[in-house]
Amino acid sequence: MKKIILFSLSIVVLVSCNKEPEIDSSMLDSGLYFDQSIYQPEKYLVSASVPAPTSAQAVSPVIIAIHGYGATTFEWDEFRAWKGARTGFSISQVLLGGHGRDYQSFKNSTWRDWRNPIIEEFEKLEKAGYTNISFAGSSTGCTLILKLLADGYFDSHIKPKHIFLIDPIIVPANKTLTLVGVLGPIIGYTKVDNTAGEEKYYYHYRPYETLQQLRNIINEVRIDLQKGITLPAGTTLKVYKSDKDDVADAASAVLIHKGIVSSTGSAPTVVMIPSKLHVFTRLNHRENIPSPGDISNQMGVFADIADGLYK
Amino acid sequence: MKYKQSFLRTLGLIILLQLIGQFSFGQVHSFEAGLRFQKTVDLYYENGISGQYHLTKRIILGASYLSSRLGSAIGSNAIKQDNFLLSGSWMFRPKKPLKPFLRANLGYFTADYESETFKGLTNTSAIASMDAGMAYSFKSPLRLHLSLGYNAITGTGAKGAGTLYPVFCQTSIFWNLAKRKMQ
Repeated sequence: MKKIILFSLSIVVLVSCNKEPEIDSSMLDSGLYFDQSIYQPEKYLVSASVPAPTSAQAVSPVIIAIHGYGATTFEWDEFRAWKGARTGFSISQVLLGGHGRDYQSFKNSTWRDWRNPIIEEFEKLEKAGYTNISFAGSSTGCTLILKLLADGYFDSHIKPKHIFLIDPIIVPANKTLTLVGVLGPIIGYTKVDNTAGEEKYYYHYRPYETLQQLRNIINEVRIDLQKGITLPAGTTLKVYKSDKDDVADAASAVLIHKGIVSSTGSAPTVVMIPSKLHVFTRLNHRENIPSPGDISNQMGVFADIADGLYK
Repeated sequence: MKYKQSFLRTLGLIILLQLIGQFSFGQVHSFEAGLRFQKTVDLYYENGISGQYHLTKRIILGASYLSSRLGSAIGSNAIKQDNFLLSGSWMFRPKKPLKPFLRANLGYFTADYESETFKGLTNTSAIASMDAGMAYSFKSPLRLHLSLGYNAITGTGAKGAGTLYPVFCQTSIFWNLAKRKMQ
Protein backbone atom coordinates (compact mmCIF):
# COMPACT_ATOMS: atom_id res chain seq x y z
CA MET A 1 0.00 0.00 0.00
CA LYS A 2 2.83 2.37 0.93
CA LYS A 3 4.47 1.69 -2.44
CA ILE A 4 1.26 2.57 -4.27
CA ILE A 5 0.93 5.82 -2.32
CA LEU A 6 4.57 6.73 -3.00
CA PHE A 7 4.19 5.90 -6.68
CA SER A 8 1.04 8.02 -6.95
CA LEU A 9 2.71 10.92 -5.18
CA SER A 10 5.73 10.81 -7.48
CA ILE A 11 3.42 10.85 -10.53
CA VAL A 12 1.63 13.90 -9.12
CA VAL A 13 4.99 15.60 -8.46
CA LEU A 14 6.22 14.80 -11.99
CA VAL A 15 3.02 16.14 -13.55
CA SER A 16 3.23 19.22 -11.36
CA CYS A 17 6.79 19.94 -12.51
CA ASN A 18 5.89 20.78 -16.12
CA LYS A 19 4.24 24.11 -15.40
CA GLU A 20 5.71 26.45 -18.00
CA PRO A 21 3.86 26.62 -21.31
CA GLU A 22 5.48 26.68 -24.71
CA ILE A 23 5.11 30.26 -25.87
CA ASP A 24 5.65 31.13 -29.51
CA SER A 25 6.22 34.46 -31.20
CA SER A 26 2.64 34.76 -32.43
CA MET A 27 1.35 35.21 -28.88
CA LEU A 28 0.93 38.24 -26.66
CA ASP A 29 2.48 36.07 -23.93
CA SER A 30 5.84 36.21 -25.75
CA GLY A 31 6.44 39.84 -24.82
CA LEU A 32 6.73 40.89 -28.47
CA TYR A 33 3.41 42.74 -28.60
CA PHE A 34 3.20 45.02 -25.59
CA ASP A 35 -0.04 46.96 -25.48
CA GLN A 36 0.27 50.21 -27.41
CA SER A 37 -0.96 52.24 -24.43
CA ILE A 38 2.39 51.48 -22.75
CA TYR A 39 4.32 53.23 -25.55
CA GLN A 40 1.80 55.89 -26.44
CA PRO A 41 -0.21 56.73 -23.32
CA GLU A 42 -1.32 60.04 -24.82
CA LYS A 43 -3.31 58.10 -27.42
CA TYR A 44 -5.17 56.14 -24.76
CA LEU A 45 -5.29 58.15 -21.55
CA VAL A 46 -6.94 61.53 -21.16
CA SER A 47 -4.64 62.28 -18.23
CA ALA A 48 -1.70 62.01 -20.67
CA SER A 49 -3.28 63.70 -23.69
CA VAL A 50 -4.88 66.62 -21.82
CA PRO A 51 -3.10 66.84 -18.46
CA ALA A 52 -4.13 70.48 -17.90
CA PRO A 53 -7.76 70.83 -19.05
CA THR A 54 -9.47 74.15 -19.72
CA SER A 55 -12.52 74.89 -17.59
CA ALA A 56 -14.73 73.63 -20.45
CA GLN A 57 -12.70 70.43 -20.84
CA ALA A 58 -12.74 69.85 -17.09
CA VAL A 59 -16.53 69.60 -16.99
CA SER A 60 -16.80 67.61 -20.22
CA PRO A 61 -17.49 63.88 -19.65
CA VAL A 62 -14.50 61.52 -19.50
CA ILE A 63 -15.19 57.81 -19.49
CA ILE A 64 -12.56 55.41 -18.16
CA ALA A 65 -12.90 52.19 -20.16
CA ILE A 66 -11.56 49.05 -18.48
CA HIS A 67 -11.01 45.70 -20.17
CA GLY A 68 -11.31 42.23 -18.73
CA TYR A 69 -9.08 39.42 -17.47
CA GLY A 70 -6.39 38.37 -19.96
CA ALA A 71 -7.37 41.12 -22.41
CA THR A 72 -5.87 44.50 -23.34
CA THR A 73 -7.06 47.99 -24.25
CA PHE A 74 -8.00 46.38 -27.58
CA GLU A 75 -11.27 45.34 -25.97
CA TRP A 76 -12.47 48.96 -26.05
CA ASP A 77 -10.87 49.99 -29.38
CA GLU A 78 -14.18 49.65 -31.20
CA PHE A 79 -15.81 52.10 -28.82
CA ARG A 80 -13.02 54.56 -29.56
CA ALA A 81 -13.44 53.94 -33.29
CA TRP A 82 -17.22 54.37 -32.95
CA LYS A 83 -16.70 57.67 -31.15
CA GLY A 84 -14.47 58.80 -34.01
CA ALA A 85 -14.99 62.50 -34.54
CA ARG A 86 -17.90 62.73 -32.10
CA THR A 87 -17.12 65.48 -29.68
CA GLY A 88 -18.53 66.06 -26.25
CA PHE A 89 -16.79 63.29 -24.35
CA SER A 90 -13.37 61.65 -24.07
CA ILE A 91 -12.26 58.06 -23.50
CA SER A 92 -9.44 56.88 -21.27
CA GLN A 93 -8.58 53.28 -22.13
CA VAL A 94 -6.80 51.85 -19.13
CA LEU A 95 -4.53 48.81 -19.35
CA LEU A 96 -4.86 46.64 -16.26
CA GLY A 97 -1.73 45.86 -14.28
CA GLY A 98 0.05 42.68 -15.37
CA HIS A 99 -1.83 42.73 -18.68
CA GLY A 100 -0.70 43.48 -22.22
CA ARG A 101 2.93 42.58 -21.50
CA ASP A 102 4.17 38.99 -21.23
CA TYR A 103 3.42 35.71 -19.52
CA GLN A 104 5.64 36.29 -16.48
CA SER A 105 4.22 39.76 -15.83
CA PHE A 106 0.75 38.27 -15.94
CA LYS A 107 1.70 35.33 -13.76
CA ASN A 108 3.21 37.55 -11.08
CA SER A 109 0.27 39.94 -10.86
CA THR A 110 -2.54 40.06 -8.30
CA TRP A 111 -6.03 41.46 -8.74
CA ARG A 112 -4.89 44.53 -6.78
CA ASP A 113 -2.13 45.01 -9.36
CA TRP A 114 -4.77 44.74 -12.09
CA ARG A 115 -6.79 47.47 -10.40
CA ASN A 116 -3.99 49.97 -9.70
CA PRO A 117 -3.93 51.63 -13.16
CA ILE A 118 -7.68 52.35 -12.82
CA ILE A 119 -7.07 54.20 -9.57
CA GLU A 120 -4.01 55.96 -11.01
CA GLU A 121 -5.91 57.27 -14.02
CA PHE A 122 -8.91 58.32 -11.93
CA GLU A 123 -6.73 60.19 -9.45
CA LYS A 124 -4.69 61.87 -12.19
CA LEU A 125 -7.92 63.11 -13.77
CA GLU A 126 -9.27 64.20 -10.42
CA LYS A 127 -6.04 66.03 -9.59
CA ALA A 128 -6.02 67.69 -13.00
CA GLY A 129 -9.46 69.12 -12.26
CA TYR A 130 -11.79 66.85 -14.22
CA THR A 131 -15.16 66.70 -12.49
CA ASN A 132 -17.31 64.62 -14.85
CA ILE A 133 -15.78 61.16 -14.76
CA SER A 134 -17.60 57.93 -15.58
CA PHE A 135 -16.56 54.29 -15.88
CA ALA A 136 -17.23 51.59 -18.44
CA GLY A 137 -16.06 48.08 -17.69
CA SER A 138 -16.12 44.80 -19.52
CA SER A 139 -16.02 41.42 -17.78
CA THR A 140 -13.46 41.51 -14.93
CA GLY A 141 -13.10 45.26 -15.50
CA CYS A 142 -16.64 45.49 -14.06
CA THR A 143 -15.74 43.37 -11.06
CA LEU A 144 -12.82 45.68 -10.28
CA ILE A 145 -15.07 48.76 -10.48
CA LEU A 146 -17.60 47.10 -8.17
CA LYS A 147 -14.79 46.37 -5.70
CA LEU A 148 -13.88 50.07 -5.64
CA LEU A 149 -17.52 50.86 -4.84
CA ALA A 150 -17.73 48.16 -2.18
CA ASP A 151 -14.52 49.37 -0.52
CA GLY A 152 -15.92 52.90 -0.26
CA TYR A 153 -13.08 54.26 -2.39
CA PHE A 154 -15.20 57.16 -3.63
CA ASP A 155 -16.02 58.34 -0.11
CA SER A 156 -12.86 60.43 -0.19
CA HIS A 157 -12.89 61.27 -3.92
CA ILE A 158 -15.15 62.96 -6.42
CA LYS A 159 -18.10 60.73 -7.25
CA PRO A 160 -18.30 59.04 -10.63
CA LYS A 161 -21.27 60.21 -12.71
CA HIS A 162 -22.14 56.96 -14.45
CA ILE A 163 -20.98 53.37 -14.40
CA PHE A 164 -21.66 51.09 -17.36
CA LEU A 165 -20.99 47.38 -17.03
CA ILE A 166 -20.70 45.10 -20.06
CA ASP A 167 -20.93 41.40 -19.23
CA PRO A 168 -19.76 41.68 -15.63
CA ILE A 169 -18.45 38.49 -14.11
CA ILE A 170 -19.65 37.57 -10.63
CA VAL A 171 -20.75 34.04 -11.44
CA PRO A 172 -18.26 32.24 -13.68
CA ALA A 173 -19.89 30.17 -16.42
CA ASN A 174 -17.07 27.67 -16.18
CA LYS A 175 -17.52 26.37 -12.67
CA THR A 176 -14.13 24.63 -12.76
CA LEU A 177 -12.79 27.97 -11.55
CA THR A 178 -14.04 26.97 -8.10
CA LEU A 179 -11.53 24.09 -8.13
CA VAL A 180 -8.49 26.13 -9.14
CA GLY A 181 -7.05 25.99 -5.63
CA VAL A 182 -6.83 22.20 -5.87
CA LEU A 183 -6.27 21.63 -9.59
CA GLY A 184 -4.19 24.75 -10.28
CA PRO A 185 -0.87 23.59 -8.81
CA ILE A 186 -1.20 20.33 -10.76
CA ILE A 187 -2.08 21.75 -14.17
CA GLY A 188 -0.02 24.96 -13.87
CA TYR A 189 -1.96 26.91 -16.49
CA THR A 190 -4.87 26.74 -18.89
CA LYS A 191 -4.99 27.96 -22.48
CA VAL A 192 -7.49 29.83 -24.59
CA ASP A 193 -8.36 29.11 -28.20
CA ASN A 194 -7.76 32.61 -29.51
CA THR A 195 -8.20 33.39 -33.18
CA ALA A 196 -5.04 34.45 -35.03
CA GLY A 197 -6.13 38.07 -34.70
CA GLU A 198 -6.84 37.77 -30.99
CA GLU A 199 -3.45 36.21 -30.22
CA LYS A 200 -1.73 39.61 -30.11
CA TYR A 201 -4.32 41.15 -27.80
CA TYR A 202 -5.34 38.35 -25.45
CA TYR A 203 -3.08 36.13 -23.41
CA HIS A 204 -3.03 32.61 -24.81
CA TYR A 205 -2.03 31.03 -21.49
CA ARG A 206 -3.60 31.65 -18.13
CA PRO A 207 -1.32 30.81 -15.21
CA TYR A 208 -3.28 29.21 -12.40
CA GLU A 209 -1.98 31.91 -10.06
CA THR A 210 -3.97 34.48 -12.04
CA LEU A 211 -7.01 32.22 -12.16
CA GLN A 212 -6.79 32.04 -8.38
CA GLN A 213 -6.67 35.85 -8.31
CA LEU A 214 -9.70 35.97 -10.57
CA ARG A 215 -11.51 33.58 -8.27
CA ASN A 216 -10.56 35.70 -5.25
CA ILE A 217 -11.86 38.98 -6.67
CA ILE A 218 -15.05 37.35 -7.94
CA ASN A 219 -15.70 35.83 -4.52
CA GLU A 220 -14.96 39.05 -2.67
CA VAL A 221 -17.34 41.05 -4.84
CA ARG A 222 -20.03 38.37 -4.66
CA ILE A 223 -19.91 38.58 -0.88
CA ASP A 224 -19.88 42.39 -1.05
CA LEU A 225 -23.02 42.26 -3.19
CA GLN A 226 -24.57 39.80 -0.78
CA LYS A 227 -24.07 42.33 2.01
CA GLY A 228 -25.22 45.20 -0.22
CA ILE A 229 -23.43 48.04 -2.01
CA THR A 230 -24.84 51.56 -2.04
CA LEU A 231 -23.79 53.82 -4.91
CA PRO A 232 -22.36 57.25 -4.10
CA ALA A 233 -24.90 60.09 -4.25
CA GLY A 234 -25.56 61.06 -7.85
CA THR A 235 -23.90 57.99 -9.40
CA THR A 236 -25.94 55.80 -11.76
CA LEU A 237 -25.14 52.23 -12.77
CA LYS A 238 -26.35 50.31 -15.80
CA VAL A 239 -25.64 46.70 -16.69
CA TYR A 240 -25.71 45.18 -20.18
CA LYS A 241 -25.53 41.40 -20.04
CA SER A 242 -25.41 38.72 -22.72
CA ASP A 243 -28.01 36.13 -21.87
CA LYS A 244 -26.03 33.15 -23.23
CA ASP A 245 -22.53 34.02 -22.12
CA ASP A 246 -20.18 31.07 -21.69
CA VAL A 247 -17.64 33.08 -19.65
CA ALA A 248 -19.69 35.26 -17.30
CA ASP A 249 -22.93 33.55 -16.38
CA ALA A 250 -26.04 35.68 -16.84
CA ALA A 251 -26.81 35.11 -13.16
CA SER A 252 -24.05 37.68 -12.55
CA ALA A 253 -26.56 40.35 -13.57
CA VAL A 254 -29.08 38.98 -11.06
CA LEU A 255 -26.56 39.33 -8.23
CA ILE A 256 -25.73 42.91 -9.23
CA HIS A 257 -29.41 43.80 -9.54
CA LYS A 258 -30.09 42.41 -6.06
CA GLY A 259 -26.87 43.65 -4.47
CA ILE A 260 -26.65 47.31 -5.51
CA VAL A 261 -28.88 50.25 -4.71
CA SER A 262 -28.55 53.89 -5.63
CA SER A 263 -28.25 56.53 -2.92
CA THR A 264 -32.02 56.98 -3.25
CA GLY A 265 -32.67 53.25 -2.80
CA SER A 266 -33.48 52.19 -6.35
CA ALA A 267 -32.07 49.12 -8.09
CA PRO A 268 -29.71 49.54 -11.05
CA THR A 269 -30.99 49.17 -14.59
CA VAL A 270 -30.16 45.82 -16.17
CA VAL A 271 -30.57 45.19 -19.89
CA MET A 272 -30.37 41.57 -20.99
CA ILE A 273 -28.83 41.31 -24.45
CA PRO A 274 -29.76 38.38 -26.72
CA SER A 275 -26.22 37.24 -27.50
CA LYS A 276 -23.86 34.30 -27.15
CA LEU A 277 -20.80 36.54 -27.08
CA HIS A 278 -18.85 37.37 -23.97
CA VAL A 279 -18.15 41.12 -24.07
CA PHE A 280 -20.61 41.46 -26.94
CA THR A 281 -19.37 45.01 -27.64
CA ARG A 282 -16.07 43.64 -28.99
CA LEU A 283 -16.60 42.16 -32.45
CA ASN A 284 -13.19 42.45 -34.12
CA HIS A 285 -11.18 39.25 -34.60
CA ARG A 286 -14.02 37.00 -33.50
CA GLU A 287 -14.04 33.44 -34.79
CA ASN A 288 -17.29 34.01 -36.67
CA ILE A 289 -18.27 37.01 -38.73
CA PRO A 290 -20.53 39.16 -36.52
CA SER A 291 -24.22 38.79 -37.32
CA PRO A 292 -26.46 41.82 -37.96
CA GLY A 293 -27.81 41.21 -34.45
CA ASP A 294 -24.29 41.37 -32.96
CA ILE A 295 -23.59 44.65 -34.76
CA SER A 296 -26.93 46.06 -33.71
CA ASN A 297 -26.24 45.11 -30.07
CA GLN A 298 -22.83 46.78 -30.16
CA MET A 299 -24.01 49.96 -31.86
CA GLY A 300 -27.06 50.24 -29.64
CA VAL A 301 -25.03 49.99 -26.44
CA PHE A 302 -22.31 52.39 -27.63
CA ALA A 303 -25.02 54.95 -28.45
CA ASP A 304 -26.73 54.32 -25.13
CA ILE A 305 -23.48 54.84 -23.20
CA ALA A 306 -22.72 58.04 -25.09
CA ASP A 307 -26.27 59.33 -24.49
CA GLY A 308 -26.00 58.40 -20.83
CA LEU A 309 -22.87 60.48 -20.38
CA TYR A 310 -24.83 63.67 -21.06
CA LYS A 311 -27.53 62.94 -18.49
CA MET B 1 -59.39 -6.59 -9.83
CA LYS B 2 -57.67 -3.35 -8.87
CA TYR B 3 -57.53 -4.45 -5.22
CA LYS B 4 -55.93 -7.74 -6.25
CA GLN B 5 -53.24 -5.96 -8.26
CA SER B 6 -52.49 -3.56 -5.41
CA PHE B 7 -52.32 -6.46 -2.96
CA LEU B 8 -49.91 -8.39 -5.19
CA ARG B 9 -47.75 -5.29 -5.70
CA THR B 10 -47.59 -4.64 -1.98
CA LEU B 11 -46.80 -8.27 -1.25
CA GLY B 12 -44.07 -8.24 -3.89
CA LEU B 13 -42.58 -5.09 -2.39
CA ILE B 14 -42.56 -6.60 1.10
CA ILE B 15 -40.85 -9.76 -0.17
CA LEU B 16 -38.30 -7.66 -2.06
CA LEU B 17 -37.52 -5.59 1.02
CA GLN B 18 -37.15 -8.73 3.10
CA LEU B 19 -34.79 -10.24 0.52
CA ILE B 20 -32.67 -7.07 0.44
CA GLY B 21 -32.60 -7.16 4.21
CA GLN B 22 -31.37 -10.74 4.23
CA PHE B 23 -28.84 -10.09 1.51
CA SER B 24 -27.23 -7.16 3.31
CA PHE B 25 -27.27 -8.73 6.76
CA GLY B 26 -29.71 -6.05 7.90
CA GLN B 27 -31.40 -6.58 11.21
CA VAL B 28 -32.69 -3.12 11.96
CA HIS B 29 -35.11 -0.94 10.05
CA SER B 30 -35.35 2.53 11.35
CA PHE B 31 -36.30 6.05 10.42
CA GLU B 32 -34.39 9.12 11.40
CA ALA B 33 -34.97 12.81 10.81
CA GLY B 34 -32.69 15.74 11.19
CA LEU B 35 -31.07 18.90 9.98
CA ARG B 36 -28.68 19.29 7.10
CA PHE B 37 -26.17 22.10 6.62
CA GLN B 38 -24.54 22.53 3.23
CA LYS B 39 -21.84 24.91 2.03
CA THR B 40 -21.27 25.08 -1.68
CA VAL B 41 -17.68 25.99 -2.52
CA ASP B 42 -17.59 29.64 -3.69
CA LEU B 43 -21.30 30.08 -3.15
CA TYR B 44 -23.97 29.77 -0.48
CA TYR B 45 -24.84 28.10 2.77
CA GLU B 46 -27.98 26.13 2.08
CA ASN B 47 -29.59 24.46 5.05
CA GLY B 48 -32.68 22.41 5.58
CA ILE B 49 -34.23 19.20 6.73
CA SER B 50 -33.59 15.59 5.89
CA GLY B 51 -35.16 12.24 6.59
CA GLN B 52 -33.64 8.80 6.16
CA TYR B 53 -35.04 5.30 6.15
CA HIS B 54 -32.61 2.48 6.92
CA LEU B 55 -33.76 -0.15 4.53
CA THR B 56 -30.94 -2.34 5.73
CA LYS B 57 -27.81 -1.72 7.68
CA ARG B 58 -26.09 -0.99 4.40
CA ILE B 59 -28.74 0.76 2.34
CA ILE B 60 -30.33 4.04 3.37
CA LEU B 61 -32.98 5.92 1.42
CA GLY B 62 -33.41 9.61 2.07
CA ALA B 63 -35.24 12.79 1.16
CA SER B 64 -34.03 16.31 1.83
CA TYR B 65 -34.96 19.92 1.33
CA LEU B 66 -32.14 22.47 1.33
CA SER B 67 -32.46 26.16 0.71
CA SER B 68 -30.43 29.36 0.84
CA ARG B 69 -33.61 30.79 2.42
CA LEU B 70 -32.46 28.95 5.55
CA GLY B 71 -28.84 29.95 5.00
CA SER B 72 -27.05 32.68 3.08
CA ALA B 73 -30.21 34.47 1.98
CA ILE B 74 -31.27 35.23 5.56
CA GLY B 75 -30.93 38.99 5.86
CA SER B 76 -28.79 39.30 2.73
CA ASN B 77 -29.03 39.77 -1.03
CA ALA B 78 -28.17 36.16 -1.82
CA ILE B 79 -30.41 34.48 -4.39
CA LYS B 80 -33.18 32.42 -2.83
CA GLN B 81 -32.75 28.92 -4.17
CA ASP B 82 -34.21 25.56 -3.22
CA ASN B 83 -33.03 21.98 -3.63
CA PHE B 84 -35.39 18.99 -3.39
CA LEU B 85 -33.49 15.72 -3.19
CA LEU B 86 -33.99 11.98 -3.05
CA SER B 87 -30.99 9.90 -2.17
CA GLY B 88 -29.68 6.39 -1.76
CA SER B 89 -26.65 5.63 0.41
CA TRP B 90 -24.43 2.62 0.77
CA MET B 91 -22.81 2.21 4.18
CA PHE B 92 -19.48 0.50 4.63
CA ARG B 93 -18.55 -1.20 7.96
CA PRO B 94 -22.22 -1.11 8.99
CA LYS B 95 -21.62 -2.69 12.39
CA LYS B 96 -19.05 -0.10 13.46
CA PRO B 97 -19.97 3.26 14.99
CA LEU B 98 -17.84 5.08 12.39
CA LYS B 99 -19.07 4.21 8.91
CA PRO B 100 -17.81 5.52 5.57
CA PHE B 101 -20.62 5.97 3.06
CA LEU B 102 -21.32 6.78 -0.57
CA ARG B 103 -24.51 8.56 -1.54
CA ALA B 104 -26.20 9.24 -4.88
CA ASN B 105 -28.66 12.11 -5.06
CA LEU B 106 -31.28 13.04 -7.62
CA GLY B 107 -33.51 16.03 -7.40
CA TYR B 108 -34.77 19.37 -8.55
CA PHE B 109 -33.26 22.83 -8.21
CA THR B 110 -35.02 26.16 -8.52
CA ALA B 111 -33.81 29.73 -8.00
CA ASP B 112 -35.96 32.82 -7.57
CA TYR B 113 -34.51 35.75 -9.54
CA GLU B 114 -37.28 38.03 -8.26
CA SER B 115 -37.48 40.30 -11.31
CA GLU B 116 -39.21 40.28 -14.68
CA THR B 117 -35.89 41.38 -16.21
CA PHE B 118 -34.57 37.85 -15.75
CA LYS B 119 -37.63 35.90 -16.82
CA GLY B 120 -35.74 34.64 -19.91
CA LEU B 121 -32.98 33.04 -17.86
CA THR B 122 -33.00 29.40 -16.86
CA ASN B 123 -33.63 29.17 -13.14
CA THR B 124 -34.44 25.48 -12.71
CA SER B 125 -32.44 22.33 -13.18
CA ALA B 126 -32.30 18.65 -12.43
CA ILE B 127 -29.80 17.70 -9.76
CA ALA B 128 -27.56 14.65 -10.04
CA SER B 129 -24.83 14.48 -7.46
CA MET B 130 -22.66 12.10 -5.48
CA ASP B 131 -21.19 12.59 -2.07
CA ALA B 132 -18.94 10.54 0.11
CA GLY B 133 -18.20 10.86 3.77
CA MET B 134 -18.34 9.43 7.24
CA ALA B 135 -21.28 8.71 9.51
CA TYR B 136 -20.92 8.31 13.23
CA SER B 137 -23.59 6.68 15.35
CA PHE B 138 -23.60 7.68 18.97
CA LYS B 139 -24.93 5.42 21.73
CA SER B 140 -27.89 7.75 21.92
CA PRO B 141 -30.23 7.90 18.89
CA LEU B 142 -27.99 10.64 17.49
CA ARG B 143 -26.11 10.19 14.23
CA LEU B 144 -23.71 12.59 12.55
CA HIS B 145 -22.90 12.62 8.82
CA LEU B 146 -20.05 14.58 7.21
CA SER B 147 -19.52 14.45 3.48
CA LEU B 148 -17.98 16.05 0.42
CA GLY B 149 -19.98 16.04 -2.79
CA TYR B 150 -19.93 16.81 -6.47
CA ASN B 151 -22.80 18.05 -8.62
CA ALA B 152 -22.67 16.52 -12.10
CA ILE B 153 -25.09 19.12 -13.49
CA THR B 154 -24.09 22.77 -13.18
CA GLY B 155 -24.85 25.97 -15.03
CA THR B 156 -22.57 26.60 -18.00
CA GLY B 157 -23.57 30.10 -18.99
CA ALA B 158 -25.01 28.95 -22.29
CA LYS B 159 -27.49 26.70 -20.49
CA GLY B 160 -28.53 25.56 -17.06
CA ALA B 161 -29.10 27.39 -13.82
CA GLY B 162 -26.16 29.72 -13.18
CA THR B 163 -26.00 29.32 -9.43
CA LEU B 164 -25.82 25.54 -9.42
CA TYR B 165 -22.17 24.95 -8.48
CA PRO B 166 -20.19 21.71 -8.46
CA VAL B 167 -18.55 21.10 -5.08
CA PHE B 168 -20.26 21.10 -1.72
CA CYS B 169 -19.71 19.86 1.81
CA GLN B 170 -22.46 18.74 4.11
CA THR B 171 -23.07 18.10 7.74
CA SER B 172 -26.21 16.29 8.83
CA ILE B 173 -27.45 15.59 12.30
CA PHE B 174 -30.08 12.86 12.59
CA TRP B 175 -32.21 11.64 15.43
CA ASN B 176 -33.55 8.13 15.31
CA LEU B 177 -37.32 8.37 15.61
CA ALA B 178 -38.24 4.70 15.62
CA LYS B 179 -36.62 1.30 15.54
CA ARG B 180 -38.01 -2.08 14.69
CA LYS B 181 -36.09 -5.24 15.38
CA MET B 182 -36.65 -7.73 12.64
CA GLN B 183 -35.06 -10.59 14.42
